[in-house]
Amino acid sequence: MYEFTPMGWLKHVIFHPVEGFEDLRWKKQGSMKIALIIVFLLFVVMVADRQLTGFQFNTAYVKVFNVVPLLVQSVVYFFTWVIGNWALCTLFDGEGTLKKICIYSAYALVPYIVCSAISIFISNFIVQEERIWMTAIYYLGLIWSVVLMIQAMKAAHQYSFTKTLVSMFFTLVAMLLILFLAILLLSLFQQVYVFGYSIYTEIAYRIRG
Amino acid sequence: MAAVTAMSMSVTAFADEPYNSYNYDTWDDAVPSQSAYMTVTTITGEQMKLERLRDPSDELYVSESAPVTLADSRDMCIDDARKQLWVADTKNNRLLQLNLDTYEIEGVYTGVSDGGSESSFAGPQGVFVAESDELGGQAIYIADTDNSRVVKAKVKDGRTLELVTEYTKPEDPLYTVNTFNPKKVLADKAENVYTVVNAVNTGSVLFARGGDFKGFYGANRVNVTAAVIAQRIWRAIASEAQLEGMTRNVPIEYANFDIDLDGFIYTVTEINTDTDSVKKLNPAGYNIWNNAKGNEYKFGDITGPMWDPIANKTHNIRLTDLDISSTGLINVLDFETGRVFQYDKECNLVCIFGTKTSTNDQRGAMANPNAVETYGNKVYVLDGAKSDITVFQETQFGKYIHNAFALYDEGRYVDAKDDWNEVIKRDGGYTWAYIGLGKAALNQEQYTKALKYFKTAYDQDDYDKAYKYAREAFLRDHFTAIIVIIVLLIALIIVRKVMKKKGMKLIKRKAKPILATAGPSIPPPANDIEETVDEAEAEVSETVEAVEDTADAVEEEVSEAAEEVTDAAEELTEETEDKEGE
Repeated sequence: MYEFTPMGWLKHVIFHPVEGFEDLRWKKQGSMKIALIIVFLLFVVMVADRQLTGFQFNTAYVKVFNVVPLLVQSVVYFFTWVIGNWALCTLFDGEGTLKKICIYSAYALVPYIVCSAISIFISNFIVQEERIWMTAIYYLGLIWSVVLMIQAMKAAHQYSFTKTLVSMFFTLVAMLLILFLAILLLSLFQQVYVFGYSIYTEIAYRIRG
Repeated sequence: MAAVTAMSMSVTAFADEPYNSYNYDTWDDAVPSQSAYMTVTTITGEQMKLERLRDPSDELYVSESAPVTLADSRDMCIDDARKQLWVADTKNNRLLQLNLDTYEIEGVYTGVSDGGSESSFAGPQGVFVAESDELGGQAIYIADTDNSRVVKAKVKDGRTLELVTEYTKPEDPLYTVNTFNPKKVLADKAENVYTVVNAVNTGSVLFARGGDFKGFYGANRVNVTAAVIAQRIWRAIASEAQLEGMTRNVPIEYANFDIDLDGFIYTVTEINTDTDSVKKLNPAGYNIWNNAKGNEYKFGDITGPMWDPIANKTHNIRLTDLDISSTGLINVLDFETGRVFQYDKECNLVCIFGTKTSTNDQRGAMANPNAVETYGNKVYVLDGAKSDITVFQETQFGKYIHNAFALYDEGRYVDAKDDWNEVIKRDGGYTWAYIGLGKAALNQEQYTKALKYFKTAYDQDDYDKAYKYAREAFLRDHFTAIIVIIVLLIALIIVRKVMKKKGMKLIKRKAKPILATAGPSIPPPANDIEETVDEAEAEVSETVEAVEDTADAVEEEVSEAAEEVTDAAEELTEETEDKEGE
């Protein structure tokens, strides 16, 4: 039926929201390498949004630039989504493997990334009155990506439409839980570290007498 | 060594303000700035020559035990024309009239005389001086707080004030408060008397010239907080008995007011509030600054309540008095920090000066700053606890910013340029200077420069405006080039389309002579077999592609021919139709 290069498959998937992911699944296509590049580009576009948006639209606090929140908002959120979705859907008869979920989700993000980039680019050439163009392009990408994401999850797990939506909602809940536990773990380890360090100091003082 | 010591001594002896001057930048962060005002002197009772009040031979003799210092003075007022400084010396129950040049006493008034009988003041907290058409000269208004009256009087001599009108508690159903303790007083050009009364939160009490109660003026609004909304919901479902036990949400009364040369009344509210902390009222009593749009007008320190580790307490903003200078600058006094915040007509922060320290022993540091007044380039702050008046004078830096702001507010951006440049020389972080210079550049159509200035000031709205003009100018200047590029692009697209249609290619790839390799050639070595296979495969696929291409071309040609045929047919039919028509 279809024979594409990996990039050709990406293009096919994006421009055929209804059947694209089913085809991708049927043909056992999708490249992990491309998926990871897409996630990286998501991070890049978030940095660009903060740094390269036209001056008259840029509301960022320019005195401090911290890349960590952006990294968390892109890469960490993405992988939490993948893991959360996998953990949830494995329990609920989903057919998607971890790799598949990762690839399909990443492919679905492409319109958002591209439209954000276009929106950032044109923000350098328009004035505030023409902001609607920027917003329109941005939302076009966002909605497109959401539609693709629903289709991707539907194809990956072979769910019905309703079940897909429900699973996606609970994936968000799972993400919250994962992040909560991660933070909890982090603070616990910090306390363990502090405990260990204070014991070390105590001993060090005693030895020195 | 001695020289070094002497030098360091001279450095430490240099009279600086007892605080670091600062200003707020675009992000509302406090940034260091230059001092726009410096303390020149402090006026105490000694400098006022208050000992004259104890000298029986002096014409200002009051009594042997007359206090020679101020005591908890609450208000002052300057008569610009007569160069007089009036001080309400609250705890001493008297009014002082000082000369504005020498700061020496010219008059002392312990009460008003009404045709022989004298009624003395009791804790007067407010004084206001204005020209009066009725009296044909100066009229003194005194908020005689503990006597529950406002007095309008005129000066007879250095010791006596003659009563003109007395304004007492209104006998009106509208006035629902039991007490009448006027704190501050003001009169407009028609000599209506406005007075801020203790515990009245419906605005200032307004009297007509004759003494009739006319109503309330310029109430604050209730600051909508979560608590207020919650209470409104509770009130809706509460029973009558519960309602009685509930507190009501009432607006905060304002603490003080002042009137500018155009007759607008400005009010200031002491308790920290987002709405209405400083208002400019029109004659109907409404704020003409649009506070509804996102509370863009901020007064006092922007940072909110601040923890002071030295004083071991949290500073909450407490704006206690304001004064409108003759040039229209708004000076707002913060009781809590002892700072004076100066704003221009458009409520842009000009500068901040003054401080409060735990020791109060330095000039320029306040204990209980109660009132602020301006005259010329001087600002006076009355301190109730230190019992003195601190005199601030504009520095050279202050002079430049005031000149620049005056021109800027008139819209004379280009004229303000020199002053702004001087400001930047002294304080490179002064945001308004860059905005002013940017607007000047914009007026002179130097868009690139304007954009640079607005970017420095991080003024996005003005940048946006400048960018619009800059873009327009760019398009206008490069119109020909842009059109040429567009035409070229379109031509390129058309050419490519046509060439594709005709099966031509811009860069012709060299077609490999397939037969030459397929002919009688020496068989390759064994280790190259795979390569040969690959090559053969590639060749095959190329041949297939070539065949496909040819097929496509043939198809296209066929379809073109078909199109031509149909076109010809159509033309024929049209011609025949035309002929038939004829």
